[in-house]
Amino acid sequence: MVEHLARLASGVSGLDAILGGGFVEGASYIIEGRPGAGKTILSNQVAFAQIAAGRRVLYITLLAETHDRLFQSLSTLTFFDREKLGDGIKYVSVFQSLRDEGLDGVVTLLRKEIQRQAATLLVFDGLLNARERAETDLDVKTFVAEIQSQAAFVGCTVLFLTSTRTKDSSAEHTMVDGVIELCDDIAGVRSFRRLQVRKSRGSRSLGGYHQYEIGEDGIVAFPRLEAVLARTSVEDAPAALRMTSGVDGLDEAMGGGLPAGSITLVMGPPGSGKTSLGINFLSQASGEEPALHFGFYEPPSRLMLKAASLGLDMKDAVASEAIELVWHPLTENILDKLAHHLLEAVRRRGVKRLFIDGLGGFERAAIHPLRLVTFFAALTNELRALGVTTVATWELRDLSGAGMATPMPDISSVLDNLLLLNHVDTGAEVKRLISVLKVRDSAHSSRNHDLVFTDKGLAVVPDEIGGKLPHVAHPRGG
Amino acid sequence: MALILVADDEFLLADMLANFLRDEGHEVVTAAHGVIALQMIRERRPALVITDFMMPLMTGLELAQAVKADAALDGLPVILVSGAQGSTGREHGELFAEVFDKPYDLQAMLAAINGLLSAG
Repeated sequence: MVEHLARLASGVSGLDAILGGGFVEGASYIIEGRPGAGKTILSNQVAFAQIAAGRRVLYITLLAETHDRLFQSLSTLTFFDREKLGDGIKYVSVFQSLRDEGLDGVVTLLRKEIQRQAATLLVFDGLLNARERAETDLDVKTFVAEIQSQAAFVGCTVLFLTSTRTKDSSAEHTMVDGVIELCDDIAGVRSFRRLQVRKSRGSRSLGGYHQYEIGEDGIVAFPRLEAVLARTSVEDAPAALRMTSGVDGLDEAMGGGLPAGSITLVMGPPGSGKTSLGINFLSQASGEEPALHFGFYEPPSRLMLKAASLGLDMKDAVASEAIELVWHPLTENILDKLAHHLLEAVRRRGVKRLFIDGLGGFERAAIHPLRLVTFFAALTNELRALGVTTVATWELRDLSGAGMATPMPDISSVLDNLLLLNHVDTGAEVKRLISVLKVRDSAHSSRNHDLVFTDKGLAVVPDEIGGKLPHVAHPRGG
Repeated sequence: MALILVADDEFLLADMLANFLRDEGHEVVTAAHGVIALQMIRERRPALVITDFMMPLMTGLELAQAVKADAALDGLPVILVSGAQGSTGREHGELFAEVFDKPYDLQAMLAAINGLLSAG
């Protein structure tokens, strides 16, 4: 019989998933990181989430910044509630007790204070100062153990904050149930913040690094997508349905349209019609088939203009919320934040048609490009399981005369369907061409087709004889 | 020149205020929390008490209530200095002679102290 431990929701977006369900009630944790990493913000965020849930917090400091200075900096954060000070949460300094009575004095004072405050969460800011007061490692162990046991006795969870990285073998590291490290780092010229659960007793936390950011809501953590979605959140139940691409003639070329719940990659050089094809695809949105444009290039206003110029006005669909336009400028982005934002927008509206313009936006956000294949696998598996039909673009250099390259090795394996757009200079004009390279488990045309702009956006020109698309290749497995 | 007790768990603030008052010619004793403060008040009988609100073991409010309840300490003025609970202190006008929000102006504090000492 597996027991499930009672958990305390951290109130920090993304952190509970990383911790394997939140902090364990009555357990003790070390939150470590250099000054400025966000330890104080994190612990206060957890504290105020506890107060909002009707619980009580004791916040102990040892020679930290003065409390009114702390309140001043916390007052810039949305979770901070000055009204709760002194009742739901009490901040006290025990520095003088440490100086006058040593570690034992602090322990005695804490025992009384935890009970006086009826605290279910104790934050102890300044473990390093206590450590410096200790004469031996055994003193540190005894100190941590005494606080732990007193807190656990009344079901109180403890967060010890410290500004140094504890060694795995250190006294405090061996004593506590969990260790969370906050860190800021540099990749190339950009800085980024990452956290790691270095120890997690009785909890299946998500190992490795997870990026986080600090904003006015405090800390938001972004669990690594391929770790948190190692398995899809819902069971994938594929159906043999097809959805229209919204491009005249393309459904026939693909053997009957886009397989529902599939991922289609549209590759092509700049100006070959990738975004236009996506707009055609989105134009089929309805209340039953909500659509989402998740883009990195055109802001919504320019995208609407582009759609109108194609004869596919999106104004009404956007106003009626059949289409949502989400734009992340191609500046510094956090890979997992993008993915979580995308999935949140999909789940929130039950999106059935998704256009991602383009995958390069994710690639540019990746600090560790080697992750991309597993990242895209997790993302596309989840989209399929959610029943989303996705069209995504990938920009290629001009293909004239050059060998065709797929975006990256292995990426083809996470896609179901592959379309290639291209320009051909015939001498008299530059023609646009489209070819269907792959449709998972389906026959499809194997010819190059002309791609033209009509008054309804893009269209695939059928063969002139009889208007049929000839030569459907034999079905190929994905 | 009077004996003043400063009760504050944050020793940097207690020290800063104590040194300022010493420079002004007063004698000052400090206490790290309400329990010690009350004990020292009974032993040393200061002319005035300045206390923080949030302290371990006994808050500034509890300290003021204990002073009020002790007939032997009748008339001892208590000034509350608080980072967050000035409003709570002001609701208890019967307990506090003055309420200052941290951070406060030292000259204003000095004026209040001198006013209370000369009135006493």
